[in-house]
Amino acid sequence: MSHIRVTGLGKTFPGKPPVTVVKDLDLEVEQGEFLVLLGPSGCGKTTTLRCLAGLESPTEGSITFANRTVFDAARRVDVPPNKRNIGMVFQSYALWPHMTVRRNIGYPLKVRGRKQELSEGWVEKTAALVDCGALLDRYPGQLSGGQQQRVALARGLVARPDLVLFDEPLSNLDARLRDSVRAELHELHRRLRYTAVFVTHDQSEALALGDRLAIMNAGRIEQYDTPQRVFEQPRTEYVAAFIGMANRLPVERGHEGWTCAGAPLVGLPGDGTIDGDRGALRLRSDDLLVLRPNEPAPAGATVLRGSVADAEYGGRHMDVVVVVAGQRLHARVPCGGSDGWARQLVANDAVQVAFMTSDARFYEGSGTAPAVGADPVTPQPVQA
Amino acid sequence: MTATVEQAFPDAGSDGGGRLSGLRTSTRARSTSSRVALGAFVLVLAYLVLVPLFKLQQLAVADDFRGYRVAFGDGRIWETVRTTVYLAVGSLAIAMVLGTGLAFAASRLPVRWRGLRSLPVLPIVVPGIASVTGWIFLLSPRPGYLNAALRNLPWWNHLEQGPVDVYSLPWIILITGFGLTSFVYLFVSSGLSGISSEHVEAAEVAGSSSIGVFFRVILPLLRPALVYGAGIALLLGLGQFAPPLLLGTNTGISVLTTDMYAATSQSPVDYGAAAAIGSPLLVFGLLVVIGQKAFLGDQARFVTHGGKGFQARRRSSPLSVLAIVLYCLVATVLPITGLLLVALSPFWSGTLDPGTFSLDSFRTVFGQSDIVTAILTSLTASLLAVLIVVPIGFVCASVLLRGQRFRILRQVLDYLVAVPLGIPAVVFGAGFLLTYSAPPFILYGTKSVIVLVYVTIMLPFATRMLLTGMTALGSSYIEASRVSGAGLLGTNLRILAPLLRSTAAGAVALIFVLLAQEFGASLLVRSSTTQVMGTVLFDYYTNGAYPTVAAVALIMTAVTAAGVVVALVLGGRNALDKL
Ligand SMILES: Nc1ncnc2c1ncn2[C@@H]1O[C@H](COP(=O)(O)OP(=O)(O)OP(=O)(O)O)[C@@H](O)[C@H]1O
Ligand SMILES: [Mg+2]
Repeated sequence: MSHIRVTGLGKTFPGKPPVTVVKDLDLEVEQGEFLVLLGPSGCGKTTTLRCLAGLESPTEGSITFANRTVFDAARRVDVPPNKRNIGMVFQSYALWPHMTVRRNIGYPLKVRGRKQELSEGWVEKTAALVDCGALLDRYPGQLSGGQQQRVALARGLVARPDLVLFDEPLSNLDARLRDSVRAELHELHRRLRYTAVFVTHDQSEALALGDRLAIMNAGRIEQYDTPQRVFEQPRTEYVAAFIGMANRLPVERGHEGWTCAGAPLVGLPGDGTIDGDRGALRLRSDDLLVLRPNEPAPAGATVLRGSVADAEYGGRHMDVVVVVAGQRLHARVPCGGSDGWARQLVANDAVQVAFMTSDARFYEGSGTAPAVGADPVTPQPVQA
Repeated sequence: MTATVEQAFPDAGSDGGGRLSGLRTSTRARSTSSRVALGAFVLVLAYLVLVPLFKLQQLAVADDFRGYRVAFGDGRIWETVRTTVYLAVGSLAIAMVLGTGLAFAASRLPVRWRGLRSLPVLPIVVPGIASVTGWIFLLSPRPGYLNAALRNLPWWNHLEQGPVDVYSLPWIILITGFGLTSFVYLFVSSGLSGISSEHVEAAEVAGSSSIGVFFRVILPLLRPALVYGAGIALLLGLGQFAPPLLLGTNTGISVLTTDMYAATSQSPVDYGAAAAIGSPLLVFGLLVVIGQKAFLGDQARFVTHGGKGFQARRRSSPLSVLAIVLYCLVATVLPITGLLLVALSPFWSGTLDPGTFSLDSFRTVFGQSDIVTAILTSLTASLLAVLIVVPIGFVCASVLLRGQRFRILRQVLDYLVAVPLGIPAVVFGAGFLLTYSAPPFILYGTKSVIVLVYVTIMLPFATRMLLTGMTALGSSYIEASRVSGAGLLGTNLRILAPLLRSTAAGAVALIFVLLAQEFGASLLVRSSTTQVMGTVLFDYYTNGAYPTVAAVALIMTAVTAAGVVVALVLGGRNALDKL
């Protein structure tokens, strides 16, 4: 049985018209697991998290923590946040300005009447854990942003809650600090093994921290998987686009097999696994090769002709936008050594782009990858 | 770091969840009990606010609308209505012009004169009835000191009296307008501080002249503040009581509030007629309150002043210092001077003889047990009312801000706490007199009824001030406490109360200031044995004991001034802006 189980969660905000922000959402989080909710702005991540915390009352579904129902719309159970045994780290930290760091961190123990833990020095130990041992007698106003974030973290963890919730806790930090706090967070979780749900819209944060990722789209979960599988085998076209497969190439089945932008596609499955005649390929920008007009393509690659729309210098690489049959494709071309010619690319240059079908993910017209069993498959090139 | 993990969490990794498992709370039970509690709370407030108004109407329409027939039967009431409208509109016009001008002047004060910004608020602090008596001592046609002084001027030295007649309508309007100016000033300055200097600079960069900027950018941005301020000032103007009562009664100038009072105090006493006379004010006040809620909607409460404040970078002007000091001199210092002169003299005549100055009148005041009792009653009733109304305001503000799940109750509460703002204190006083002179609660002549009416008329202020404070605080501190395991009560006590301390303290002091000088409602609910400062002052004035009147007025002023100082100390520099 999972530690945290969310079933059929729905949240509609009243209004004219009412807004449904979360729809029929299911989640299971194992004991000690670090789940990341990832999705674009406005997709309902914060709302889902607040429903878990009890700060928002869902309109449908049920939520169970360690076999204890904390919310059930049908049975009208709604345990208030203070009875849910959770910890939460807010984006704005929300440290109480009238309390010292010590009292801030000690608050969850104090209000739960856990005197023993207080006297055993859990506050000091937790503070030491996040490197804030020296700040205990300061007020939040006397701390830097990163220090405040650490104190907020300590406050969320100190009472060893069933579940720790994070709402974009790193987004107020500058880039460098964000990386170091992220690393600390990862290490802390590896050692303490608390159960966590972490909300972010930053892909790299999600890949680095999550044991599992839930990719959200408009109030639903599109894919719920390990970071590797989400990254390598995005189940839907939406997930693929969100996780970095920015290029979309429509393909269709003609008399002589599959074509892509008018050119024959090398090695798309012509067997019966795909029923429809239309679909799209999704490709990462670094899987797209840019070749000079007459340059021979690698064996097995599909080659398309196009022209450069724009080229940006990026140090070790060039970011090139190529227009192929009206589609804008983004390619990341290494430009050290022999590929140095790419530096000279300017708009309207004629080029070829090439890719291996095995690097691309195929999605049928509906945008869902064809599934074999439970496992989403990558279309395999036809091997000789 | 590694070494401490095992110590911090001896059994890290095991299930920490068992502690509270099994504890189940049903939504229905939880929300039903809080709904019932809130329902009872709203009911009590509804009783306080609505029953007196209802009783008034009931009496006015009793016996086949006898009250209305008596009040509106002969045409004289329309004369009164016209005067009321003149007074309201005239004083509003004066207040809008002066208040807006002063707010602009305050935004252009040179840096080291910034402190003068709070001066235009002083007329709110000086009790209305005190400053009106002050004006009488200065500008009464014959014995007024200022008139007497003006008659020394060569072109007026043939006059027997005058040149100013403070008992005439134009002067009543002018003096009322001076008082209202402060309110408009408050609204416009807070509106101005919400306009970021970038808006102004953007327009200047785009090529507008200063006058163009004023008319095209600043005025349109200020419109909500101006409309709101004008609305409040209009309501206050319609409900004016002390100035027309003291200045107009002798010369037959009457407005609705004074007519209403006359109907309850002169024989034949006719409460039904009094109630009917108050009706136009009641209806108009309710319309304004409802209209305002409907137009501004929920949003108005969440308006935040994000801008850097428009005053920061304006060019300063020494003229602004002059304007503010001049206003303060005329509206505050002059009437207080009048009071001082009379209080120090053995009697009030047009001539001053510093040789006869003494503190005798103060001695008289403290020797008169009725005055001393009234002062004590004022202080205790105001204090008690404050201590009751501020917690009520806290609950109201919490529900308005965070009680979305109580849809209907919250809406009702929203209107309920706004109603007293629209209705003149005199009308409320009459309503309370009727309601609490009859069963089930016979409180007439007790201090309780004074406290009750004070609580009621201060509901909007208390709620508004706490709402402002709580809105500024945001919700994340509270949510952080809830998820940390604290209940509603614990969160209120440990987090909200300390964080709101200065707001609440400021509210306490300010409401005390407003109550200590309360006159309109007090005059109706007082009895001959239960008086407050304003009402004894009025009685002594009617009896012509002017030096005593002046001394009482000065004591009242001192009490409110002390309240303001406390407000500033506790609530911070901007406490007055929260009005
Ligand atoms: N109280 C509310 N009333 C109405 N709509 C709301 C309310 N709170 C949130 N929403 C709407 O719900 C949607 C999801 O909001 P939510 O805060 O969950 O997004 P999010 O995924 O956390 O986005 P972000 O990454 O920008 O924080 C948004 O479209 C938002 O406008
Ligand atoms: Mg969010």
